[in-house]
Amino acid sequence: MEQYFVDIAQWSVSRAINESSWIFAVVQAFHLVSLGFLAGSLLMVDLRLLGRGFSQQPTARVARDARPWLIGSMVAMVLTGVPQFISLATKEYESPYFRWKMLMLLIAFIFTFTIRKQVAYAPEGRFGGGISKAVALVSIGLWTSVAINGRLIGFFS
Amino acid sequence: MAEMFAPVQSLFMWVSEFESSIALRESQYVMPWVFVFHVVSMCMFAGTILMMDLRLLGVGYMQTPFSQVQRRLFPWQIAAMVVSSMTGLALVWGNPMNYVTNIIFWVKMVAMGIAGLNAMAFHFITEYTVIDWDAGKTPPSGARLAGWLSIILWVNVVVAGRLMPYALTWFRS
Repeated sequence: MEQYFVDIAQWSVSRAINESSWIFAVVQAFHLVSLGFLAGSLLMVDLRLLGRGFSQQPTARVARDARPWLIGSMVAMVLTGVPQFISLATKEYESPYFRWKMLMLLIAFIFTFTIRKQVAYAPEGRFGGGISKAVALVSIGLWTSVAINGRLIGFFS
Repeated sequence: MAEMFAPVQSLFMWVSEFESSIALRESQYVMPWVFVFHVVSMCMFAGTILMMDLRLLGVGYMQTPFSQVQRRLFPWQIAAMVVSSMTGLALVWGNPMNYVTNIIFWVKMVAMGIAGLNAMAFHFITEYTVIDWDAGKTPPSGARLAGWLSIILWVNVVVAGRLMPYALTWFRS
C-alpha cells in the first residue's frame, strides 16, 4: 500500500505541482471556495430538516433546488482535492488526519446519498420531526468532521 | 513596500507585545484549533451568503421567494460572522507582525470592507423594492449586480485567506 502512494508522488504531474510555486496554492484556494458552495448547499437542506430553514417550503423542493449546487461543488472539491493528494501522496499516507478525513468522507458521502436523500425527498410528513432533525445533525456532524480533519492535515503531519 | 504599512505597523507592534498575544503565539495547540474554527465558521458564513447570492442572481432556489431565503439565512450568517470574526481577530492578535506587511492580508481586509458596503447598499436601496420581484423569475438588475459583487468579493476573501501564507515567498525576496 505504501509503495502505491510513493509511486503516485513520483508521477510527473505530481512533481510538476510540487515544483510550481503557485499551482498548489491556487488549487488549495479553489478547494476552499468549493467548500463554501458545498457547505451552503448542504446547509440549505439540513437547516430545513432542522425546522430552522424555509419552513413554508416542502423539504423535497428545497433539496431539488440545492441538488445542482451540491453535485457541482462536490465535483469541484474532487477536482481540486486530487491534485493536492497526488503531489503530497507520501506525506498523506503518514497523516492520521488524512485517513480520518477519507473515512469520514466515505461515510458522509454514503449517508448523503442514501438516508439523507430518502428523508429529504420523502413526501412532507412521512418522517417525523425527530428523524428529520437527527438526519440533519448527523449530516452536519459528518461533513464538519471532514472539513476539520482536512484543515488538520496541514498542521500535524 | 514596507513604508506603505508604517502607520499601522506601530499599532500591530503594540498588540504583539501584549501578554495575551505572546501567550497565543507560543501556544502549540490553541492556534491550530483557532484555525479550525475559523474554517468551519467560514463554511457556514460563505455557504449561507453564497446560496442567498445564487437566489439573487436568479439561478438557484427559485422555488423559494427571495425574502424567505434572506430572512431564514440571516441569523446563521450573523452567527457565523461573529465566530469567524472572533477567530480571525485571535489569529491576527497572536501573530500581528506576520500580517501587517502581508499584502494579501490587506487585499482580504479591503475586500471584506467592500463586501460589507455592498450588502448595506443592497439592504438600504434595492431591497426596498423586494415586494415587486420576490417570487419572480428574474430579479432586477440592481439585485443581480449585488449578487455578483457579493460572490466575487467573498470568493476573493476566501482565496486571499488561503493564499496569505504564500505572500512571504511570492512578494518578498
